Amino acid sequence: MVGESIMVEKIVKRFRDVTAVDGVSFSVREGEVYGLLGPNGAGKTTTIHILTTLLRPTSGTAYVAGYDVVKESDKVRKEIGIVFQDPSLDDQLTAYDNMYIHGKLYGLKGDVLRSKILEMLDFVDLKDFKYKQVKYFSGGMRRRLEIARSLLHEPHVLFLDEPTIGLDPQTRLKLWEYVRRIKKERNITVFLTTHYMDEAEELCDRISIMDKGKIVAEGSADELKSLVGSEVIYLKFKNEFNKVSGCLEADFIIKCNRVKDNLMEIVVKDATTALPQLFEIINRLNIEVTEVSYKRPTLNEVFISLTGRELRDSLEYETLPQFIRRW
Amino acid sequence: MDGFVTMIYRQIKRFINSRSRFVMSIVNPIIWIIFFGLGWSNVFRFPEAKVIFGGLDYLTYLASGMVAMSIIMSSFMSGMSVIWDKRFGFLKETLVAPASRAEVILGRAFGDSIISVFQGLIILIFMYFITSKINLLGVLPALTYGLILAMCFTSFGLVIALKLSSMEGFQMIINLMTMPLLFLGGIFYPIDSLPEWIKVIAYINPVTYAVDGMRYSLTRVSKFEPIVDVFILSSLAAIMSVLAVRSYNSTTIED
Ligand SMILES: Nc1ncnc2c1ncn2[C@@H]1O[C@H](COP(=O)(O)OP(=O)(O)OP(=O)(O)O)[C@@H](O)[C@H]1O
Ligand SMILES: [Mg+2]
Repeated sequence: MVGESIMVEKIVKRFRDVTAVDGVSFSVREGEVYGLLGPNGAGKTTTIHILTTLLRPTSGTAYVAGYDVVKESDKVRKEIGIVFQDPSLDDQLTAYDNMYIHGKLYGLKGDVLRSKILEMLDFVDLKDFKYKQVKYFSGGMRRRLEIARSLLHEPHVLFLDEPTIGLDPQTRLKLWEYVRRIKKERNITVFLTTHYMDEAEELCDRISIMDKGKIVAEGSADELKSLVGSEVIYLKFKNEFNKVSGCLEADFIIKCNRVKDNLMEIVVKDATTALPQLFEIINRLNIEVTEVSYKRPTLNEVFISLTGRELRDSLEYETLPQFIRRW
Repeated sequence: MDGFVTMIYRQIKRFINSRSRFVMSIVNPIIWIIFFGLGWSNVFRFPEAKVIFGGLDYLTYLASGMVAMSIIMSSFMSGMSVIWDKRFGFLKETLVAPASRAEVILGRAFGDSIISVFQGLIILIFMYFITSKINLLGVLPALTYGLILAMCFTSFGLVIALKLSSMEGFQMIINLMTMPLLFLGGIFYPIDSLPEWIKVIAYINPVTYAVDGMRYSLTRVSKFEPIVDVFILSSLAAIMSVLAVRSYNSTTIED
């Protein structure tokens, strides 16, 4: 089957008093890493639960791997794997038994299963704890075990509901790397939710921004950022510099502005191509520049401009040079 | 078969890992035997009493019933473990798995049934030593009755638990059900002594047939033909299992 791995048409999910998902449509191509980004309560988990046959939509249809999630839920289950947002381990069993039972429920057997379990436990650095009951595990260890478990069988479509919450940085990086690898080597479709913008940017081919049950924008990270517009280059000059009283001018410069005497803000469409051209001008005018920095809009800005609210979480807060004011 | 065998493995492994549950379900019937059984067996010392209990002394009469009682009590725990799994999220893991849902839920019921029968066996051994009139050849058939009985009540507990989300709600329903099931099932006294209108309940109660069958195997006293016991008990267990499969098939994580 080539083409669409996930197809969602106008799904609505109403719980007693809330509409968690409100008429969402999108599709995910085979082998794509697709991200659903949104604040708490946006309806990300509910969407995943519908796609993984754990909830029935109030209306609308959804297909995963070509099968209807309501009418052919058995077939859908054979094609998917999932890391839940909430814990789903049996904490009275050992790590090994949790993996073993999962493997058996997914049709793995014998030596293949056994070596795969050890491989995956090794992957998340839990090999030394394999015969320990999960109730003695720390939060991060549990999370790692859940991830190892979901990767035990090799699904066609992998759902990851905020997979890196509670993980330490090295495990998070390892997971990112793994997601990229399985996508490349095995053409697995990955559907993930997150409220880390950096994670979405880092991993996803395409991103949907979800808010209050609706998808407010969709596209690659770059496409989304171009929604809010341009990038900004900051030039800092030597203090005594005063040759240019006004601003620089060129066709690639959208706007130029002297923030301070020695600081210039230049708005361009694409900083990466604008910078070399800018240096040419600077050289020609023989201006001495002491510092250059540029700032691209983040998905946070995209989110603010789409919803008027902030999408706070980020793995690393941007470290802007002190002298630059936020725009 | 994978889903079935896997869930049996899981339920048993889990049971082995939690000793407190084991202790609780053994202690309960033993307390009954000591305070209830020993007390009444002294009351029923007079010769006519033996006639009521088919020629057995009261403690021997009670033995089969106590085994059944411990099996029923621990079978209901199966439902408890579903609610537990809902709370701790493991239910999601089994719901999203590709293994056949029928196999998964039946494996679960069967695994818990094996545990219940094991506990029944311990009570049986206990009864053997305090009565010493139990037919050892009948132990295996009696445990088979026990297993079918356990399938009835694990399945029944699962049906209810799948619809509920609170332990308290489940406990309440089970408490309401247990007393009539035990008292109208021939555990403590023959159902012949019941008023006519209550007898109707006794006749549709699986406990009646399980206890009667066990009593036949262990002490050669019974009301129905063994074949009747087996047939009715198995039919009821089959109905309950089908209900459990159906409700698991339509389970979502909504409630
Ligand atoms: N089982 C349920 N019953 C009633 N309401 C629910 C249920 N599950 C979710 N909701 C509601 O639906 C809305 C969306 O929840 P959902 O879990 O899908 O959000 P989310 O985007 O995953 O948020 P988070 O980032 O916090 O995980 C919330 O308002 C939540 O209260
Ligand atoms: Mg969520």
